[in-house]
Parts: sequence; structure tokens; C-alpha cells
Amino acid sequence: MSAYKYLGKKIPVIDAAQKVTGQTRYTDDLKLSGMLYAKVLFSPHPHARIVAIDTREAEALPGVRAVATYRNTSQVLYNSTTRFLLQDPLILTERIFDQTVRFVGDRVAAVAADSLEIAGKAIRLIKVEYELLPYYLDGEEAVQEGAYPIHPQGNLALEVVQNAGDVDKAFAEADYIFEDRYTTPPVHQAALETHTAIADFGATGKLTVISSTQNTFGQRIVLSKIFQLPMSKVRVIAPPLGGAFGGKIEAIVEPVAAALAILCHKPVKLTYNRKESMISTRTRHGSVTYLKTGVMKDGTIIAQDFKVITNTGAYAASASNVIKAMSNKVFGSYKIPNMRFIGRPVYTNLPIAGAMRGYGSPQAYFAQQCQMQKIAKALNIDPVKVQMKNLIDPDGVDPRNQKPIGNPRPKDCLRRALELKKNWPPLDDENGEYLIGEGLAIGMHGNSAYGAHTDQTSIIIKVHDDGSCILYTGTHEMGQAALTLQKQMVCEVLDLPWEMVDVVAADTDTCPWALGDFSSRGTFIGGYAAKEAAEKVKARILAEAALLMKEDQGQLVLENAAVRSWQSGRSVSLPQVMDHAQNVTHQEIMVTHTYPTPGGPGSYGAHIVRVRVERQSGVAEVTDYIAVQDLGTVVNRFSCEGQVEGAIQMGMGYALYESLNFDERGKCTNSNFRKYKIVNATQMPRIQMDFIEEYEPTGPFGAKSLSECALVPSAPAIINAVSNAIHQEIHDLPYRPAGGR
Amino acid sequence: MEQILLHINGEDREVSVNPSWTLLYVLREVMDLTGTKCGCNTGDCGACKVIIDSRAVQSCLIRAVNAVGKNIETIEGLSDGYHLHPIQQAFVDCGAVQCGYCTPGMIMAAKALLDANPHPSEEEIRLAIKDNFCRCSGYVEIVRAIQYAARLLEEEKSERL
Repeated sequence: MSAYKYLGKKIPVIDAAQKVTGQTRYTDDLKLSGMLYAKVLFSPHPHARIVAIDTREAEALPGVRAVATYRNTSQVLYNSTTRFLLQDPLILTERIFDQTVRFVGDRVAAVAADSLEIAGKAIRLIKVEYELLPYYLDGEEAVQEGAYPIHPQGNLALEVVQNAGDVDKAFAEADYIFEDRYTTPPVHQAALETHTAIADFGATGKLTVISSTQNTFGQRIVLSKIFQLPMSKVRVIAPPLGGAFGGKIEAIVEPVAAALAILCHKPVKLTYNRKESMISTRTRHGSVTYLKTGVMKDGTIIAQDFKVITNTGAYAASASNVIKAMSNKVFGSYKIPNMRFIGRPVYTNLPIAGAMRGYGSPQAYFAQQCQMQKIAKALNIDPVKVQMKNLIDPDGVDPRNQKPIGNPRPKDCLRRALELKKNWPPLDDENGEYLIGEGLAIGMHGNSAYGAHTDQTSIIIKVHDDGSCILYTGTHEMGQAALTLQKQMVCEVLDLPWEMVDVVAADTDTCPWALGDFSSRGTFIGGYAAKEAAEKVKARILAEAALLMKEDQGQLVLENAAVRSWQSGRSVSLPQVMDHAQNVTHQEIMVTHTYPTPGGPGSYGAHIVRVRVERQSGVAEVTDYIAVQDLGTVVNRFSCEGQVEGAIQMGMGYALYESLNFDERGKCTNSNFRKYKIVNATQMPRIQMDFIEEYEPTGPFGAKSLSECALVPSAPAIINAVSNAIHQEIHDLPYRPAGGR
Repeated sequence: MEQILLHINGEDREVSVNPSWTLLYVLREVMDLTGTKCGCNTGDCGACKVIIDSRAVQSCLIRAVNAVGKNIETIEGLSDGYHLHPIQQAFVDCGAVQCGYCTPGMIMAAKALLDANPHPSEEEIRLAIKDNFCRCSGYVEIVRAIQYAARLLEEEKSERL
């Protein structure tokens, strides 16, 4: 029996009752008085310079209040994923509107009008003359010598090289060398709520942006830079988000809505429709990976060389962050002494690639895990044995610097997954219609952005007269249950009833600074910050109670919303303690606490999948799924299970269905949910799941990250199962049945 | 613009609409019933499902003028917003809510199913929400919640007898 009251329990998200009644107000549900509606004109060309733009007819349309183009808006160059005001070595390529458009769906102009209908009409009245420029859709073509530069500095955004040991020497010593090319397509986060923001700019010169963003403080930096406003004059608020998955980290609709609001001094709402959201926001990077691996006869991998080209689309945005994250994560899973990673994000005239769940891991692990199965097959060794021989141990280190990576447990995950496999029912296939296959994959993901830069979260807890508390946090509620988790930490530490703690979140003016909800930092950093902030509050309450009770603080315990003395057996209520603080010591009990993490361990997962593939059509169906995740400690069983199941759903899409497709002129041909298929309830397999809870010393109550990690092994495990069924290697996502090839 | 009478959540509401407006637009933008969500506006994601004459339909696919004279139920009509309907309670208790954006449409689809078929099989549940997308979950807790809701509704019925 766990001694915890809240930890490890099944706890619904804190706003579940509001969500089931339809009372939750997401951004697009809000209306401000006098609010205008915006519509954006998008480029029909993959690459063109605007020679002339005539907005007069649009401006003359009754009800139109502002028309924004590159000519009347800030031309400050920015990076939409900025995290720090000064420290970010990011590449600046973006403007709200630019005289050059660089993909089909790039912003040309925007209109604010009294109604969405008028705004839509006005957009069609804007006349634009373009000079067409050469364009590239393929990343490898875009960096060929003599390619027309999409940005002045050329089409190679940057190059990242990471090295451990001596790869070339090890290849010479290997018994076998495997060399393969793997590709992944751009896919969309497809949060059910599209991108949306309301900007307000009034006579005080203050810009307020209410937006579906997972990065309020990052948005504030970008907006403050673009509009040259002090941060005191920029407020960003994020109501609950209808999903994000990385797609709402960057400043996308926010600067546009803000530019319009500043032009007409009225609140402006800009909500993208599904098509606009799929094309003109962010995608997961498409990639090409050349993977070379040196293996000994017994299956020991002695060298591995990744050469990855990511197609980062038209602007830098997350180009450098994603490739750097990928470059780190490939070093975290195996005892391979000699490894090299060369990553090259490349500009093309495709939609902008950004963050999506997994942040570089899905592409690299797809290549690595598929090749791992190929190696096992070629060596005629069980893939499980090849994995166990090479996987990192709990005391394992990063081969680049021999530093520990926390308490990595992929081997435990794999062992447990194999146990669960014994529960699989036999598959009937009386008519021999199907080919059955099994596949396995390991995945790794980080905890926090530690290593790239400082990673910290600040929390404020304010105690009320009756001892109940408000937790102020820069964390966002987007379905990942991070606010619920922080509240669990506070209730656990202070031993307060659930209803005595409430949360104010994601508002740059009222909440302390937080980095944003990405990098798998919600549990690991946000949770720790909340735990330590609550511990400080507890110390303050006990100190106050000691004065009130005239007893030694060391004898006092806080339990069941009261303070009790071991020594005397006396107890005082929290209202009595707070009354003493107000009327005797004249102190507010309010704690601000900043928690910077001292390290970033790895989280791991092992997935085993069974598929059946229809012989005739080649169509694959996932029938059985096992996911075992190494997450240190289960903090909230509901959210942990939900995250893993969601990762399976998303991984199935990545493996079998999802791909943003483009015609030869770079126009997306499946920018709606009819053509871009998300896995539905009838397609889900039987799922077995378990968690390895081996306590991560640097995590709150031993917990570490889960939900991005759970996505990483999903697609390769499914692809390995399909490949095993059809006896063919699969090198390209998504798997396309032979009938459809 | 046209004056129409819509029968929503047991009340007659007179609204002025453009004949081209969808029911979803009128619910959200004219009547401030924002519990119904828009995820695609093409009838593919199910976030906008409401119940019309006992059937769960995508409100983005029907014009408001064509909903005149019909019995329309939205998420706001399921409870007084404080005491939850058994399906709503089941979604909370089973952990079937993550970001919550698909939840109103999912609950309306579940209600139409359970109104017509109080004891659905798991397969029938999955079919009833086949065109309700959820990007957060793997539909596991949602299916479980609908099964649990069926039991709660059954208990409620037997208590009433």
C-alpha cells in the first residue's frame, strides 16, 4: 500500500467537469466586446517575390477595419520559437509578412473586419502580382551546389556534428556493415482545436494576446521584439488548449492578430480553419536518414553513423532545436562506443517544420530500430537478444562524455513486454487470408531541455486565510494533465484536501516565468518546482505555528489541514495559523520558488506489436500492442495510461496512414481530415501496458517524463511487425500497401 | 437574413440567420452555445456533434434553417452544468477527458447511442464514435466511460422504478 494520498492514483484532469459540460472556454469560445474577425491571404506559389500588392478595393469594402501587409507592419526579423530574450542563438528568418513568400500557404496579407464573412470577401479583393522564383521541395535537392537560395545565407540552415569514440576505425574492425536509407514524411500534429488567437491593443499601449499556445512566455518575447514593446506592455494568456503536441509552441497566428489589433486599436480574433492549420502552421520534420552500422558476429554493435537531413521547410523556426535534440537522443539507448551523428536541416519551399511530440526522436529511432531488426535477421539472432546485448544498463553512460543518463531501464521494459506477450491470444486465420507479423522497438526520450540550456520553472503558492492555496504556474493545460500533476504535488506535500488547492496558469502577467510546455519537462521540472514550492510553504506554516503554539518547530507536523505537535499532542487549525500570520506577525504566506534541474535523465520504452496483413491488398491492421515505459514513478495513473494510449494512436498514424502530401508545385493535396486520416476508435488494437517504476533520483518523487517517449518506439515497432509479416524491408513512412503503391 | 425558431435543449429560441449559415455557426456565434466545438468544419472529426431528433449529427454539415421544427440537443442541455449527467460523470470518473476538445461531441454521440441502445457492445460503441476523432487518447478510456455510463443509466432507471 502506497503511503501517498494523491501520488500514483487515478485522478481526472482538474477541469474535467468543466470540459464534459462544455463550460471550458477555449480561445475561440471567447468574444471581447467590439471584437473584429481576421482572415489571412496565403501564397498560391511555392516561392515568389511580391512585385505589386493592391489592397485598395479590400480597404474600401464596408466593415473592413484594417488590411495588413509587409508594407504597413513591423519588418523585424524573428524566430518564432524563441525561448530567451538574449541567450538564444537562433536563426532569424521570419517576418509577420515578407515581400518574398516561400511556400504555398505562406502569409501574404491579413484583414480585420466586422465579421468573418466580410474579412473573407476582402481577402479575395487583394490583388497581388508575383515574380516567380525557383523552388525546392526535396531537401537533398535544395542543398545541391548552385541551388537558388531560399534565404540569403543559403539553404543549409546549419550542421550539427556529434561524436563518440572513433567510428571510422570501428567500421574497419566490424564483421558486418549495414547501410540503409530511411525516410519519414512531414506529418501534422492535428490537435483537434486549430490555431487561434485574440489580440487586444488599447489606449494604454498594452498588447494582450489570448491564444492557444503552449509557450506564453516565449510568445511574449517574440511579440515584444516584433512590436518593440517592453514586456510590461505585452501580456500573453493561454486558456486551456484543445491539444497541441508541439504544434503550438511557436508564434504563428499571434503576431498576425497583434499586428491587426495594433493597426485598428480593437480586439481581433484570428482562428485558422483546419486546412489553414494543416498547411500554414507547423509540421513534424520530414527526414532522410543514412544509417551505417558496424556489427560483430555475435550481434554486438560497435559503431553507428547517422547522417540525417531534415526538411525544415521555408523558415528556420525550430530547425536548429529539433536537430540538436535529435543529435543528443541517439546517444542515449545503447552501449555503442563509437557513434557519430551529422544532422543537416535544410530549407525548402514546403510548410514550416517545427516541434511535434518526440522532437527529433521519431525520425532517428525509426531508422535505427528498423535497421536493428534487419541486423538481427541477417545475423539470424533473435531481435530480443540483439537488443539485450546492446541496450544501456541502469548505470549506463552517454558514450560521448561518459556521463550517467539517470537510471535507464530499457532492458526492464523489454523483459516486462516479453512477459505480457504471453497473454496474446492465438490469431485465427482459417482461410489463410492474412500474413501475421511481430515487431519490436525501443525508444528513448529526454527529460527537459537540460543540456541545450538552463531548464527551470518557477512557481508561486499563496496561502489564504483558511489555509487553502492558489498555485500560480506558467504551465499550460493542454490535455497532458500537467496542472493536475502540479496540484497533486502540492496537495501531497501540504496534506491538503483536493478542493483546497486551485490553480492559476499560463498568464505572463500573473504567473511566474516558465520555459513553456515542451521538451518533456512537465512532470520532471514543473512537478519538481511545485513539490519544492509546497515544501517551502510547509516550512513557513510550521514556523508560524511554532510561534503561535510556543513550541519547537521541529516537533510540529502538518497533516489533515492542521498542525499538530508530537511533543504536547496539541494541534491548531490552518485558519488559526493564518490568523496569527495576519494579525500577529503581519506576514503574507506566499512563496516563490524557482527550480532549475541539475540534470536530464532519459526515459525509455519497449513496444511489441502484432499485425495482420491482408495477403490480397497488403493492408496492415495492428491487432495487439504491448507498451512498457520506464517513467521512474507513476504520478497519475489516468494521465499515464491516456498518454501511452494516445502515443499508440499517433504512432499508428505515423506508421500506417499519415503524411502531408504535395503536388509538384508544393501545394498540399490532403489538407483536411477526410484525406489526412487520423486513427479512429475502430482501428485501435488490444493494448497491454505497464510501467517500470524504478525511481529517478533527480525527479519529483522519483518521476520522469513519459508522453513524448511513448511515441518514439511506436512507429518502428509497427513497421517491424509489418516487415516481419510481408518479409520485406520497409524504409519509408508511412507503409504503403502493395495495392496502393 | 431570416428569422427562424430553433428548438434547442427544450426551449424555443428565435434567431436571425443567414440561410447559408451552418447550425454549428449559429450555435457558437449567434447563440453563444460554445460547448459545441469546431474541429474541421467538413464533417470529418465529430467535435461538433449534436443530437437532432435522436440522431447524433455533425452540426457543421447542416444549415440552421434546415433544423427548424426539429428537436436539437447540445452539450449544454445535458445537465444544469453543476449536477452532471451520468454520461458526463462517467467521462470524468473514467479519466476519459484529456484536452477535452473532442469531449462534447463524443458525449453527444454516446448519448444518441445509449438513448437508442442502452446495452451496446464494445464494437457498437466503437462504431458509434468512429467519426469522432480524439488526438490525445487511444479511445480506451472513452469506450470504458461509455460502458460505465450505460451501467449508471441502468441504475438510475431502476432507482426510478
